[in-house]
This record gives sequence, C-alpha cells and structure tokens, in this order.
Amino acid sequence: MHDTQKLNCACVQELIDRQLPEGGWPFTTVTTQWAVEPTALALLALPSNSVRERDAAIRFLLRTQNANGSWPAFSGDDEAGSGLTGLALYALNGCCALGMVTNRAVQWLTESRGWESHWLWKWKFRTSDRHVRFDPDKFGWPWMPETASWVVPTAYSILALKYARGISQQDFVHLRIRRGVEMLYDRVCPAGGWNAGNGVVYGFPLAPHPDATALALLSLLNEPPNHFITSSLDWLERRAETCFAPWSLAWTILALDAFGRPMELVVDRLASVVDPAEVKDCATLAVVSLAFARAPGNDAFRVAHET
Amino acid sequence: MKLDRRTFLTASLGLAAGASTTALLNRPKYHVTRMQPRSQVAILRAESYSHNLESILHSGLELFHLDLRGKTVLLKPNLVDYVPGNHINTHPLLVCAAVECFRRLGARNVLVGEGPGHQRDTELVLLESGFSEDLRQLKVPFVDLNRHELVMTPLLASYTGMKRMWLPRTVSEADFVVSMPKVKTHHWSGVTLSMKNMFGVVPGAKYGWPKNILHWKGIQESILDLCATVPVHFVIADAIVAMEGNGPLNGHPRPLNRIVLAGDPVSADATCARLMGLDPTRITHIRIGAQFLGNVSTERIDQVAESICTPANPFEVVPEFQHLCVTGSAQRDS
Repeated sequence: MHDTQKLNCACVQELIDRQLPEGGWPFTTVTTQWAVEPTALALLALPSNSVRERDAAIRFLLRTQNANGSWPAFSGDDEAGSGLTGLALYALNGCCALGMVTNRAVQWLTESRGWESHWLWKWKFRTSDRHVRFDPDKFGWPWMPETASWVVPTAYSILALKYARGISQQDFVHLRIRRGVEMLYDRVCPAGGWNAGNGVVYGFPLAPHPDATALALLSLLNEPPNHFITSSLDWLERRAETCFAPWSLAWTILALDAFGRPMELVVDRLASVVDPAEVKDCATLAVVSLAFARAPGNDAFRVAHET
Repeated sequence: MKLDRRTFLTASLGLAAGASTTALLNRPKYHVTRMQPRSQVAILRAESYSHNLESILHSGLELFHLDLRGKTVLLKPNLVDYVPGNHINTHPLLVCAAVECFRRLGARNVLVGEGPGHQRDTELVLLESGFSEDLRQLKVPFVDLNRHELVMTPLLASYTGMKRMWLPRTVSEADFVVSMPKVKTHHWSGVTLSMKNMFGVVPGAKYGWPKNILHWKGIQESILDLCATVPVHFVIADAIVAMEGNGPLNGHPRPLNRIVLAGDPVSADATCARLMGLDPTRITHIRIGAQFLGNVSTERIDQVAESICTPANPFEVVPEFQHLCVTGSAQRDS
C-alpha cells in the first residue's frame, strides 16, 4: 500500500510552489498564463491550513469575475463568459458566503443555456439534422456562448447552483437545475457513462469517458437513484480496472467515493502511477490531491479539508 | 416603352448597386496565398506498421529536399480518442519514424503536439494508444495543445466570419508544421485529412471539448480559416490502414498500405481523396483551398514514387456524402 497522505502533501506543496504571484494557477508549468479551471480546482484542493495561498486564490477569483457575473476561461479571454463559471463559483462557495458575487454568477448561470434550446435550432434538430440523438428541450450549459450544451460545463454549473448559498430566485434556480439534470440523463451513453455529450451519433453508440462520467455523477449525487446513475457507476468501476491516467483515475475516485462504492484499488493504482513533481498539468495535480484527500461522507468533490 | 431620364438613372443606380454587391460577395475571403505553381506529392508503399517505417519515410522525404537545419518542427498527428480495435489515430510508429527523420534532416527541435477534440484526458489517449511509451523512448516532448499557452491570432481568411482566434503559442512559434492525419472518412465533413486535422490546434481551454464553435461556424469554413492562418508546411498522411464508413471514430479499417507525403495540404488531401475513390473537387474545403492553399488538379501535381491506384470500390461514406464517390472514367478524370 502507498502512503496517500504523503503523496497528497507532495501534491499540495507542488500546487503552492506553482501558484502565480497574482494568486491563480496556469494549466502547465511552462507558462504564466493563468486559467480558471486549474485555479478553482487548486483552491478546492488546498487544505485549510494553507491560509495565505487560499486567501490569494480567493481574492484572485473574486478579482477576475466578469462584470456580467461569469468568469473567463483564462488570462486575456473575452468577457462573454465561459463554461467554467460554474466551477469558479463552486470553488468560492466552498470558502465563504459571497453575497453579490454569488448572486451575479447565479444570475448569469440561470440565463446561460446551450444554443440547441433556441426555437430555430430546435426546429432544425427536430426536422433536418437528426444524426445526433438528443432532445433539444433538455438543455444544459455550453463551453462558450452561442454553442450547444456539453456535459462538463453542465455538471460544473449544476454543482455550483446546487451548493450556492443565500441566493435569491430559488424557484427559478431550481427549475434551471432540473433542466440541466434532464439534459445529463438525455445525453447518457446507452451502456452508461457520459462522454463530451454525444451518446449516439448516426445510430452508433459512442464510448463514455471516465472524467466526464465522474463529473456528471458528482453533479447528480443527491438525485433519486435510477438506472442512469447505477449503470454509469458500474461502467466507471469497470473502466477503472484498465485506466492508468491520473486525471481520469482521480475523478473516478471522487465519484466512486461520493456514491459509497469501493475505490481502494483505484486509489492504490493512482498512487502507483503518480509522481507529483512529474505531473506538469496543475488541474490534474489538484484533482489528484482531492482524490488522495477524500474522506468518507464527503459530498461531491468537497473534501476533508473543509470539515 | 418610353425611358425617361428619372427611370434611366434609377435603373442605372440599381444595376450599379447590384454589381457592387455581387463583386463584394465574390471577393476572395482569404487574405493570404500559399499557392505554388506546382505541387509535389509522393505516395510511398508501406505494408504495415513496423520499424521499417523510418527508412521508408526517410527515402520519401529525401525527394523533397527540405532544409530544416536549425528549425523547430511541430508534428501534429491525429489523436482523437482511444477505442480498442478502431483505427482512429495516426499510428505512433509513423509519428516516431517522422521524429527520427526530421532529426536526421537537421531540425533543431522536434515536438509532437495535439489537442484532442472530445477526450479531455489527453494523457489517457496517449497512454492507451501507445504514444506515451514511444515518445518517452525517443525523448521527444509532447505538447497538449488544449491546455498550452494561448495567443490571440488574427485569422487570415474569413469564411467563418470570425476575425481572430486564440491559438497555442507552440503552433505560432513553430518554424515548420507537419500535419500527420489518419486518412478517414468523416460523418460531418466527408473526409478528415491534413486540412481537417488542423482542428486539433484549436485549444479546448478556450473553445471547449468538443470545439463546438467550429461546427456552429461551419466545418468547411473553419477548416479554410484555420489552414489559411496556420501554415501547413508539410504533410505525412497515414494511409497504411485508413478508415471508411462512419468516421472519424466508428468506421471500419480499410488498408491502403500507403503513406502520402506532400509539400502542401491541398495536393495531399486531393491525392488521399483519389486513393479513397473520392472526387476531391466535390469536397468543399479542398475545392476552395485550391484557390489559395495548394493544387488540386493532377496536371499541377508532380507525382513521385508510386502512382495513384484508384480502388475498385470507393471508400464507404455516410449517405450525405455519397456524391463524393466516383467510379470508372469519372474517377480517372478527377
């Protein structure tokens, strides 16, 4: 057995070492261009005793929120908003009550939707363009404005809205969450699991991906049990047996753990393939840290650091 | 009919406005031209994926007299996803052979870069497709173009209507970009060859997984804008085992036992299409690309090594692209 606590400490130290002076994180170590995804994941991964680094990360995310309430994807990105807004809000929600920041982000999230929900595109997808199997009435969130809904931004957005505190317009938010959950069930792969968001194309079932499956499951954690969730967990367990990639393994651990499935073997596998210093991708490093730091009874990928 | 001065002036103005609008619409949408009077294409025979590929490729590359001394070469294979048994990706042995060849040709630095379109875990694709181990042994760096540093880049064509895009710095700083597609049919674009392969330089960190904006703006249009903006200096197409049918993920393997080399992407893709039994002039991005990115006509392509062997049965395509298939005399004329 590997010492996962020691490995997690090494992950956290690497994250601290790689934090940019302004408080964010880049995706890779060869650039100083910050990005929201590694920053938000790193903030979730940092333990509560990393006070200075967490404060810098929180201030950084607060500073980089767009005027419309969304977050850009990276330094220099336009201000229209990205599919990572949900993740940024979720990370901040775990740290403090945010009032205006939360309300503006929630407002943006409730208004943001995949373009397939527009009446013109609905009509097109129902009449002439039917090669991808999906119901355009069930829409989630896009990666960027004026594009369709996809699984990962939808899962991030659902997580953010479900855990947002002290927000107004609760009923409207609840409805928006329902619509997103319906979208995830609509796009599930026939044998369980999710990929980017195309379950069936040209009548052919496409393969799921471990990370998208795990994230979708985490966003569905408190939903009533159903066969979509069960078959996806089963698929994730089977897939983990042949998976050796840290990002996918770490997400798999977080999802299996959240649903109370055994994941010790997967943790051991992750520990055997990961050398924190060699993980060049900061987002991967943060999720690996979250996976090593998981605790029984945590919800979603909110981990022991907070309890 | 009596024509008074007022009617005459109104009609003249109307005609002038119509002519101006037509001229505006017909104005080329590219702001750069990379056309050479003639293109050179080499078709190399390769029976299988083996360690002989390096010598086959080296002999083929020598035909092009490339001067790569001191240059940074970026190899851009097609790495989409890994599905056991499906020939989806450019084979790692061909990419490794290319690395060795470009090093032998004097390149200062050879990189391999790709940004998979659907699978966010690039390392998973690299591990399961065999790339990780092969690239590690060669000590060649791999750049995940989905998550690398981005620079705002003005587009050098305007088929999509977009004026600029974020693209990876690695791509803009490379001296010599080599597109290394897997020769496949594609259910949205007809084929995916060296031009469509450039979708992989579009960063997921900005545009998401998949890079859905390219679909909404038009796949053919996006291919043209990207290839105008990111010069493809050379093509090495993996047609040893190609894919037909419901590509790019779920088609059937179709052995062609060929590698196609070319100095421009249009002549490369036109030649690959002909090897597939498809008419390149019916493929929108190849036809329009022939106005400014390379040559499509066989009369302007110097074919070296093997000649084009047209298949008795064209590659199977999805129903929407049946019109690409040619047979008999039409095939010879295309």
